[in-house]
Amino acid sequence: MKSAVTTVITAADAAGRFPDISDLKAVKESFDRAAARMEAAEKLAAGIDNVTADALKAVYSDGKYDLATRDKCARDINHYLRLINYCLIAGSTGPLDEWGIAGVREVFRTLGIPTSAYIEAFSYIRERVCVPRDMDQQAANEFKDLLNYLINALS
Amino acid sequence: MLDAFSRAVVGADAKGACLGSADLASLRQHVADANIRIDATNAISQHISCIAADAVSGMVCENTGMTQPGGNCYPTRRMAACLRDGEIILRYVSYALLAGDASVLDDRCLNGLKETYDALGVPIQNAVRAVEIMKAATVAIITDTNSGPSAFQGISGKGSDCQGIAAEAASYFDRVISSLS
Repeated sequence: MKSAVTTVITAADAAGRFPDISDLKAVKESFDRAAARMEAAEKLAAGIDNVTADALKAVYSDGKYDLATRDKCARDINHYLRLINYCLIAGSTGPLDEWGIAGVREVFRTLGIPTSAYIEAFSYIRERVCVPRDMDQQAANEFKDLLNYLINALS
Repeated sequence: MLDAFSRAVVGADAKGACLGSADLASLRQHVADANIRIDATNAISQHISCIAADAVSGMVCENTGMTQPGGNCYPTRRMAACLRDGEIILRYVSYALLAGDASVLDDRCLNGLKETYDALGVPIQNAVRAVEIMKAATVAIITDTNSGPSAFQGISGKGSDCQGIAAEAASYFDRVISSLS
């Protein structure tokens, strides 16, 4: 599983070197940002059901999508938010890449699922994050970065 | 390969649950102790030869027959292989210490090591002895209790604050020993 620290170790191992000063610096930087990431992860975990419900309401409000797909859409939004929660902990996009993005285009194309619904949902969540009501600025930035990453991957 | 963070992520994914406040307590402690962990890893990186080469030489000094004709460290080609292996094991221990998780050591170093040594006729008890000396030297350097000039220089403070991380480093060496034995 790719994370901030394992990425550094993988590179050091490929070169056959002990963790040197620049490796340790990279690890230290990721630890310095960890507090903000964990705050975002914690708030997201606590509010994941509300966030999912709000996003769902926004996506299905104008009747563009078949209401029969609503439950499945809720499940998927929840799934992606959970992966974002993991990415915030790991300090890397590894969990999203490995469990949420690899193969997703093929699956959506085969099943005829419109990715635009997900993009609308995650864009809505991104716009709705409110500082400092939901989380502080740094945490919100980390969260929005990952939402943008996911939106780009699905676009 | 996992670290303390991705270990938590993989555990949560198996349950299909988010990582919430309850799970974050131990990770927050891990983050709070980050400087100590980085110092300890750096202490190893700064004393590679002091730890690895001395341990192998020490093991040979205890068994002087090894460098004589017929011994396992004769000729120098085999002694060189032994020195190299000491350094490789120490390197994976340093990765495990930095990651806060033994998986990198298990997957990339220990998996199949005993079988390889058995096939090559490496005497296991001598290999274990060298690892034991590396363990003692590493703990002494990290806790700043080595004999001779102080070897510890850290951003987190004193070597005496590093008892916990030294014990963690020792546990990775124990892992090497138990996988070889």
